[in-house]
Amino acid sequence: MPANQTISGNVFNLYGNSRSEEIAERPVKKSPSLRAGKLRELYLQAKSSASMEFPYWYTRRWEVLDGEITIVRRAAALKAGFEHLTPTIFPGELLVMGKTRYLRGSYPLPWLSESFFLAAEDELYKQALKDGKISADKVTTMGQGGGNVTHSEGNVISIAGKFGMRKEEMPMLLKTARKWHNKSVDDIGHRYEQMVPGYKEKEAIMRAVICMFDSGYTLPQGREVINYYYPLQYGISGIINICEKAINEVAGAPGMDRLYFYKAVILMLEGVKSWVLNHATEARNMASYEKEGSLQQTEYLEMAERLEWLAENPPRNFHEALQLTWIFHVAVLNEDAISGLSPGRLGQVLFPFWKRDMDRGTLDREKTIELLECMRVKYTCLDCFASMGVVGGVLSGNTFNNLCVGGLKKDGSDASNELEMLILESGMTCDTPQPTLSLLFDEKTHEGFLMQGVECTKIGTGYPAWVNNRTAMEFLMSNFADEGMTIEEARAWSIGGCLETSPGSWMPLELDGKIHWIPGGSAPATSVGVHFISLPKLLEVVLFDGVDQRTGERIFPSHQLKLETYEEVWQAFRQYFSRAVEVLTLTNNIQHDAWRKITPSIVNSMLKPDCLETGKDIGQQGSRFNRTFNVEICGGVNLVNSLASMKLNVFEKQHFSLDKLREAIHANFGYQTAKQSGSFSLMEQKPGNDYREWMKIHKLCLDAPKFGNDNPYVDELFVRWQDFFTGMCSNYKSLYDKPLYACQISVSTHAPMGAVTEATPDGRLCGTTFVDGSVSAYPGTDKNGPYALFNSATCFNHATSQNSQLNMKIHPSAVSGREGSRKFLDLIRSYLRKGAFHIQFNIVDSKMLREAQADPEKYRGLMVRVAGFTQYWVELGKQIQDEVIARTEYQELS
Amino acid sequence: MENHHKDCRHYLPVDVFKGICKRDKENIAADGESCQHFDQIAQCLFCRHFTPSGEFIGQCMGKTEAWPEMIATTCMDFEWEIRKN
Repeated sequence: MPANQTISGNVFNLYGNSRSEEIAERPVKKSPSLRAGKLRELYLQAKSSASMEFPYWYTRRWEVLDGEITIVRRAAALKAGFEHLTPTIFPGELLVMGKTRYLRGSYPLPWLSESFFLAAEDELYKQALKDGKISADKVTTMGQGGGNVTHSEGNVISIAGKFGMRKEEMPMLLKTARKWHNKSVDDIGHRYEQMVPGYKEKEAIMRAVICMFDSGYTLPQGREVINYYYPLQYGISGIINICEKAINEVAGAPGMDRLYFYKAVILMLEGVKSWVLNHATEARNMASYEKEGSLQQTEYLEMAERLEWLAENPPRNFHEALQLTWIFHVAVLNEDAISGLSPGRLGQVLFPFWKRDMDRGTLDREKTIELLECMRVKYTCLDCFASMGVVGGVLSGNTFNNLCVGGLKKDGSDASNELEMLILESGMTCDTPQPTLSLLFDEKTHEGFLMQGVECTKIGTGYPAWVNNRTAMEFLMSNFADEGMTIEEARAWSIGGCLETSPGSWMPLELDGKIHWIPGGSAPATSVGVHFISLPKLLEVVLFDGVDQRTGERIFPSHQLKLETYEEVWQAFRQYFSRAVEVLTLTNNIQHDAWRKITPSIVNSMLKPDCLETGKDIGQQGSRFNRTFNVEICGGVNLVNSLASMKLNVFEKQHFSLDKLREAIHANFGYQTAKQSGSFSLMEQKPGNDYREWMKIHKLCLDAPKFGNDNPYVDELFVRWQDFFTGMCSNYKSLYDKPLYACQISVSTHAPMGAVTEATPDGRLCGTTFVDGSVSAYPGTDKNGPYALFNSATCFNHATSQNSQLNMKIHPSAVSGREGSRKFLDLIRSYLRKGAFHIQFNIVDSKMLREAQADPEKYRGLMVRVAGFTQYWVELGKQIQDEVIARTEYQELS
Repeated sequence: MENHHKDCRHYLPVDVFKGICKRDKENIAADGESCQHFDQIAQCLFCRHFTPSGEFIGQCMGKTEAWPEMIATTCMDFEWEIRKN
């Protein structure tokens, strides 16, 4: 086999007939309004920019208040951060305010973790002080690779390969980080987690990247649904009044923590209020630059008036309501490192305001879409500041603000509405990665609404993802009935983050004397706990009796099994998996305990029912529902395909011995590693000199039954894995004494986790990316068509897990025209009717992706669906790009 | 001393590299040389409470560290020192 040739011999992994060599375009996209188009263009030109303003003022105030009650001290620190943010307003904006003064801004939060700044201290500090300013022209020509600041240049220092920070702020970053040394959640949690028996195993697990990261100090909040009810109903001053009244009732009474919570909320809101008013002042300043009486000046002045009103009062109309939800969305994001703070069913939350404006004739469809487009750009501007491993390896730069449409109302009727139709429409006219959309499919969902969803998915946005309402409700009732959830309340659910089923509740929004029951999140962060266990890597360690083959380090004690039967392999795997979950649960519990004690949530707590009522923050279980810790896994299909290969080839047919398989794994089946070849899928790999020696074994491994083909041999192993996994999680308890549950999403972890894993018995090569999602077929191995894939994917009960995830890549020609839309909806419906939880699509020609990889600048606006999120192609790492290219492309849907 | 766009009251920062002039709406580089309309924005360096103590660092109110180019438009304690440019 010549170098560079694909292993399968095909240029593309394809189901269906071969097709033209020409690149098939996606269906013609609609255009955004002129205003939103300009704002989106400004975003596309903007770089991820970090600022020290917020952390500086936070830390400064924190230090002054040494000795104060922690939650009050933190609230005062947050207040200082908010009130000192420099306000900026960008021309044309209808919705304003952001995390920092930059369009695409974020900032470090050293009170959570400062270790990755300090680890790079010498390097960063040297760069900061190095002379050699270059010309401004040269600086501004930098614009490659999307918005990531991949390297330092001029007066800008690159942090984590993504964020740019001005050189003059770097010394303060390092000084501030040092102030938090041994005081941050990371450091304090680390101090105490070492007391967990088995801690050394935990560290070894992390070094081997069997587990991706600690959740307590990296992204302690998120993967949840925000709740906008209180600001919409009471306004900022109204909530302050509620707190002041509560203080009068609880001061000195038993349960004194309530007093401090209410005081903290007041302080925080005072900061938010100043932040809003500072923007009002800036709006008037911006107006002063405009021609007297011009439209732009009028808009700035109206904006100023709007913000001044909202700094005190509840919204009077749809525009104000949308602006207020945005203010509190950003406010939550500014209190912690957060990914996946989802606006939830925003179209249903805002519908009463919208309908009233429409009925009054003060708003029309066109203006609504323009506002929604502006909202899309604002959400897309959000960045999450975290280390390279987190922001790149897990998030792919995404922030996962999932907006859901559809589902059911409180009374069980179809919840889809006209505003949600426009939300889908704006997702087509102004296609941007954020907010990503999910359609909560129910048999009651209106057909026209479903078709609108199909039209949006078809144009290649990657959204809406299609999610099964009933499966989610079944999961929720199984896990939250103990906390009082009813069927009625289960209907208020929504997706938090990319795909985490999150509990909600109905809140009574009163408008003009009428009660509107609006849904919103009622639980804290999900996807905290055990964050991503690499199943193929764990299998590697099983096969080599507890030793990581990449580093040679022992991870677990010997399992004491000879692995002479398949059952012994399975037994050893369960043994190591259980041990990993046990030790990671305990250590993460300590980290999260440190988080809630050092940096309790105040903004998010205030918003979540029933914290305001109970006077407890979410770390004290003030939320209505609190069973949110989970165990996340990655590479499940690679695991099961590998088990099938071993069962068949080693134990049943005895084509080769387990020792021979171990040798083949060490030899990477005779191929170069992905790192050597620079290619991270099986599509293009370079054979080594001795590949013929391993060719037969490799072929047997590749030819073994693969998940995704409706093959009972492998699907039964998948069911066995699912039964074990979804059952065992409840053996472990969160720090809130609630059982854990299973979560099955890969996000982007299948890339870095694959990168550190040797070849696997399914024929996958060393360093290549794992399969995405949880029930997606490994790229190129699903050969029997979509319905066979669906049968495999639904071979177990999806409601036993917080989610499942299926990605499909479909050639645009397969869904073209009205008939294609109908066929596409039939396909989606047939899958969800099998009880599946989720499916999402890339409607794209793989050739376009290959060309975009070769010529990224030509495709700056190209978006793809990865695993629960849509991202600009140019902002994805090559590992993920290769994996998306390699996914089987369906040219036919039958 | 050369003035830069990023230090001007009329500068709207889009990112760490560049911004927009609020006056003429042109795209400009943060470190580009300012024009005749330059108007120094409030920064710690120009505050009477700030004392430089090293490169990129100084003392605010004599008791806490700050950096000279920090924007101070939202600082209630900011008071203009005699302009150094």
